[in-house]
Amino acid sequence: MLHELGFGGMLFSPLVVFAPIAFALTLLARLVLHQLDLRRLIWKEAWFDVGLFVCFLAAVVFLYGKWT
Amino acid sequence: MGKLLRVGTTLLVVAVAIAAGTWVWNHYLYSPWTRDGRIRADVITIAPDVSGWVTDLAVRNHQTVKKGDVLFHIDDTRYKAAITEAKAKVEQQRIAWELAKHQYKRRQQLSGRQAISEEDLDTYRINTESAKAAYTLAQAQLYAAQIDLNRTEVVAPEDGTISNLTLREGNYVTRGNAVLSLIKSGSFYVTGYFEETKLQLVHDGQKARIRLMGGDETLTGTVSSISKGIADSNTSSNNQMLPQVQQAFNWVRLAQRIPVDIALDPVPEDVHISAGMTVSIYLGDEE
Repeated sequence: MLHELGFGGMLFSPLVVFAPIAFALTLLARLVLHQLDLRRLIWKEAWFDVGLFVCFLAAVVFLYGKWT
Repeated sequence: MGKLLRVGTTLLVVAVAIAAGTWVWNHYLYSPWTRDGRIRADVITIAPDVSGWVTDLAVRNHQTVKKGDVLFHIDDTRYKAAITEAKAKVEQQRIAWELAKHQYKRRQQLSGRQAISEEDLDTYRINTESAKAAYTLAQAQLYAAQIDLNRTEVVAPEDGTISNLTLREGNYVTRGNAVLSLIKSGSFYVTGYFEETKLQLVHDGQKARIRLMGGDETLTGTVSSISKGIADSNTSSNNQMLPQVQQAFNWVRLAQRIPVDIALDPVPEDVHISAGMTVSIYLGDEE
């Protein structure tokens, strides 16, 4: 379920926490793809990266909901 | 072939992203949850019914009390004196009534012998009734004085916990002014402030899951009622009784929040809740 997240007494809207997590995952994926030299398989890099970010965000929200 | 693979991969990711993005949007914005919830409780403010000094404070701050337990005593010297005075008045009025009865009785006998006028006899009869009424009045005053004396002992009206006790022995307390508050035990409930955009998804009897701040415990509850009104600043009127309508000049306005009360299921022993704590609330069983 969605609920407010607290860090050291500060309370955050869950999306404020989930978005940076998704962003970090996107960066990681981008780095891995770059290392494996798979980025040449991508047609429009910007579209791909934004799409990947949204997918990661949805995954994080979904998995967090399942976990709690 | 390579070209097709490149285009296909990208479009696939974008398509999945659109679907996932739609799901996140709906889940976040249109599912009935709020992070603006509060734990609340029934709070009884206790005010003495008589004025005076506090002579004996029988409770500590945050002490649990049972219904009928003594909270504090108020100096009763004045009220005891009032009782003595009222008792003396009752006696006085009783004797006055006896006298009036006696006088009337005597004159009734005289009336048979034509020694007293009808009018005088009537006067004595009425005097008797008046003395009787005065006696009843004195009795009522004695009863009132007794109530005052009894109420110098302030007792707990319900089971609960004393809160924010700043009262000390020797303080002067005034009739009708609250001096301490009692949080009724077992009266905890949750009020969630749901945005009006989500209110249509809320209904009575809906199951609720409640998360305390900084705790992993999930409490459960049931929606018990939805508020039927919140204040509208456009309805306040000026001194000509015309409504003061606010100008709308902002491009973005925030959804207002409507209070929804949620009855808590029994709370686990190890979870401590206090009125005023912040909670997140998620309604409905499904994720």
